[in-house]
Amino acid sequence: MIHHHRRLLRFFFSALIILCSSIVLPGCSSFVARFIAKSFEDLPSTPEPVSLKNAHPIFQHVGLSVLWVGHATCLIQIGDKIFITDPIFTETAGMISKRRIEPGILPAFLDKLDYILISHIHFDHLSYGSLSMLPRSAAMMLPAGSGAYIPEFGFSAYREMNPWMSFEADGVRITAVPAKHFNGRYGFDGLWSRTNTFTGYVIESNGKTVYFAGDTGYDPDLFREIGRKFAIDLALIPIAPIEPHDFMKYVHTDPEEALRIFHDVRAKFMIPIHHRTFVQGLDSALITAQTQLTMLVVQQHLEHRVLVLNIGEQQILAP
Amino acid sequence: MQEIRRSFFNWNYSLPSIIMTSKRFFFHTRSILLLGLIALAGMPRAEAQEQEERRGISNSWLLLQAVPSLSWTGLPAGTHFSFEWELTPVLYSWGMTRLDPPVHFFFVTQPERFAGSVEFNITTQWYTSRIGTSHWGFSGQLMAHLPLVEYGEYLGLNLGVARYTIAGSSSNFIAGGFSTLFGFLHYTVKYSPADKMVMHSIDFRFF
Repeated sequence: MIHHHRRLLRFFFSALIILCSSIVLPGCSSFVARFIAKSFEDLPSTPEPVSLKNAHPIFQHVGLSVLWVGHATCLIQIGDKIFITDPIFTETAGMISKRRIEPGILPAFLDKLDYILISHIHFDHLSYGSLSMLPRSAAMMLPAGSGAYIPEFGFSAYREMNPWMSFEADGVRITAVPAKHFNGRYGFDGLWSRTNTFTGYVIESNGKTVYFAGDTGYDPDLFREIGRKFAIDLALIPIAPIEPHDFMKYVHTDPEEALRIFHDVRAKFMIPIHHRTFVQGLDSALITAQTQLTMLVVQQHLEHRVLVLNIGEQQILAP
Repeated sequence: MQEIRRSFFNWNYSLPSIIMTSKRFFFHTRSILLLGLIALAGMPRAEAQEQEERRGISNSWLLLQAVPSLSWTGLPAGTHFSFEWELTPVLYSWGMTRLDPPVHFFFVTQPERFAGSVEFNITTQWYTSRIGTSHWGFSGQLMAHLPLVEYGEYLGLNLGVARYTIAGSSSNFIAGGFSTLFGFLHYTVKYSPADKMVMHSIDFRFF
């Protein structure tokens, strides 16, 4: 009887080891392994300094201004309302993805902040260390279902938003809009999520409309619907990572797809984001996506509408 | 310590003895009462109810619980590698926003645990090399997780008490250690005052 149990247990554990291997090993595929190796190579490096660091990025009043802090972090001001998107100021995203260029501003420069928009819970978009540096007066907007990943930072309010849900207060209307990305923060947890914990946002205030796409793959129906529902002045659209394209095309946009989104949402202006800042994917050089975008912009005669900012550069679109 | 070592080697492996050991373990764990009180004290807040509906145990979560954690345990008799399965009957989290309920049963995210919490968990270990006559071990732990760096994701301090049953012999331990790499990697030292025994463990924990 005991021998029978032991044989059963051995069979069970052999099956389990095979099961574990079949789950874990594909996850450690060449892409993941190469990405981790690439990230480790860069860890000892120091981020390149930013000469444009603006110590006074907030105006008394402005029609519409945007400062690209780096990656998906943009400081947006409409009237006297200040918004920041996916703030990340830390030297790494998730301990191993190294920042290559310093952030365009320091959190200490932000003496006022009204809203923090979080597109999803990946390390490069939901940075706990960065959030803890921001003024506590801000309200934090989050995709629905992400509450289980938000420690208490002491902000004035936290609001989870489903797609197409709007929040209105004090002349500001923020609407969560769909995106095409993937769930989870640590890997495995993405597999059991019951809701999509990623979103984009449309901010409407003072007669201006800004679309923040977050991190997204390309889906023409989705973006055309956003374009039908809003008259967008400015679209902040990710253009990287690109490689490996077979994987990235489902969850990220390359420069060509980013321009398609720009056309689909019918925005007046576009600022590319989510490039140059961190080691991402297997892109061979941090400048690749920007170079590709610049070539496409010239081909399509969009030089006056697609504004390629440097990190730390501030653009006033309406005085 | 000698007595424990001897009993580790003398334990007779059989399914009924595993069940009996488990029963003794469960009934002798006073912390269950304490955790019941914690659960009552931390009824979900109104803001958290919607969040509670969105989360919970899915089939994929259940399936992934079969994936064991990996553990290297240093016992007085030597170092042993084991596969470990954990279950968290209850966890009280104090480090999250009002969007998230403070009390969690079985289903716990890393921030809920490592941004500040106290939990009762039970584990089963299967050692690849025998300890005494057995491959099996059981433990129950009442652990507090205190965030040190980046809300516990980069570094957390874990303190608590544990009761280990290995090869038919049980001992109570004071446990302390650190976790890093988003709670995946743990180093824990356990000391049994009664037996003057120290156990070290390095664990690579999945969810």
